[in-house]
Amino acid sequence: MAAVIAREVRDRETVAVGTLSPIPAAGVLLASRRHAPRATVIIINHDDHWPFHDGSKEFYDFAQRGKLDLFFLSGGQIDQFGNLNLITIGEHDHPWIRLPGGAGSAMLYYLVRRVILFRTDHTPRTFVERVDCLTSPGSSPPRVFRPGGPWKVVTPLAVLAFNRESRRLELESVHPGISVTQVQSATGFSLLAPREVPTTPPPTEEDLAILRGPVRESVAKLYPIFARTAFLAA
Amino acid sequence: MPGHVGSDYETLRPEFKVIPDPYSGKDVLLVPAIVPDVSFIHALQADAEGNLRLEEKEDDVLLARASRVVVASAEEIVDADTLRRAPYGLRLSGIYVAALVHVPGGAHPTACRGRYGIDEAHITEYLELAKSDDTFRTYLQRHVFDLKDHTAYLAEAGLGALAA
Repeated sequence: MAAVIAREVRDRETVAVGTLSPIPAAGVLLASRRHAPRATVIIINHDDHWPFHDGSKEFYDFAQRGKLDLFFLSGGQIDQFGNLNLITIGEHDHPWIRLPGGAGSAMLYYLVRRVILFRTDHTPRTFVERVDCLTSPGSSPPRVFRPGGPWKVVTPLAVLAFNRESRRLELESVHPGISVTQVQSATGFSLLAPREVPTTPPPTEEDLAILRGPVRESVAKLYPIFARTAFLAA
Repeated sequence: MPGHVGSDYETLRPEFKVIPDPYSGKDVLLVPAIVPDVSFIHALQADAEGNLRLEEKEDDVLLARASRVVVASAEEIVDADTLRRAPYGLRLSGIYVAALVHVPGGAHPTACRGRYGIDEAHITEYLELAKSDDTFRTYLQRHVFDLKDHTAYLAEAGLGALAA
């Protein structure tokens, strides 16, 4: 997933990674050590990648001014329209799961040019027909100020892309060893897909070496447990 | 507040209002300011006037300025000159601070820059015991009620050196 995310980072862009996002952090750090050395990398509260001096307030102000090109969000539920739910699952007043809340997501999803959604699982429970509670919509009518929005969804099974014309998620590629049928049965809505679905290119030897070396070392400063456990030895 | 328009926040939070931005004409969401009655914040250092030196990664200054009353704790009490010359940290003037308490180790089990790191074992224990009221009582018993004072707490946390 980190290698897939890395490919989405463009050189010279300003890319930010929020809280609880070790995989996007690893992906962005990989990109900055490979094809995007001039990208500005912001990783929340990382000693080497946090340019702000006035708390998260300064970061949100920076984002509100439209200065971010790429950001990463997740959702307790994600639906076919790219809608996110971070509030409650089930009936709102009697939910069976209370999620942490939207925090900055309903602003960042509108203001950051491209937002990549990520999940470390891919199940029909997460990828639903329609979200129970709408924290942040995938698209908005023209009356609403919205320069940005969803771009891709990266999971352990596949990459979905958000089509800004149809305002729907579409299957872009399946990871090596995964079939379209498997992805469909793990998804709670019917997937739009091209006739021939390409396979996601696997990480190269070079990618893996950078991930397991300098990226792991940098990620460890913010996510020590993740760095200890998530990087499989060669 | 940019964004948010068209989300369920509009219905879940009736105090949030959608209006056209008078400058661009586009719809925006207005959110009333939060005014806490009291906020508790922990400083890296403080002087006797209640001037604070705060962690730059936290939103303590924002919180303090929004609150009616601010109660601060600080790792160290230093003289005004030392506070002025410190290279790192956000400053909050003592005019915002109603009360100041010297609490070394006051951020434990979370981290405090230059003093101590995150206590991973303690936080893991807390997460486990916070799952139900019953087990949380065990946590309180172990880390609050069974300890004589803050010095005992620090000793148990392996931060006894700070108490000196």
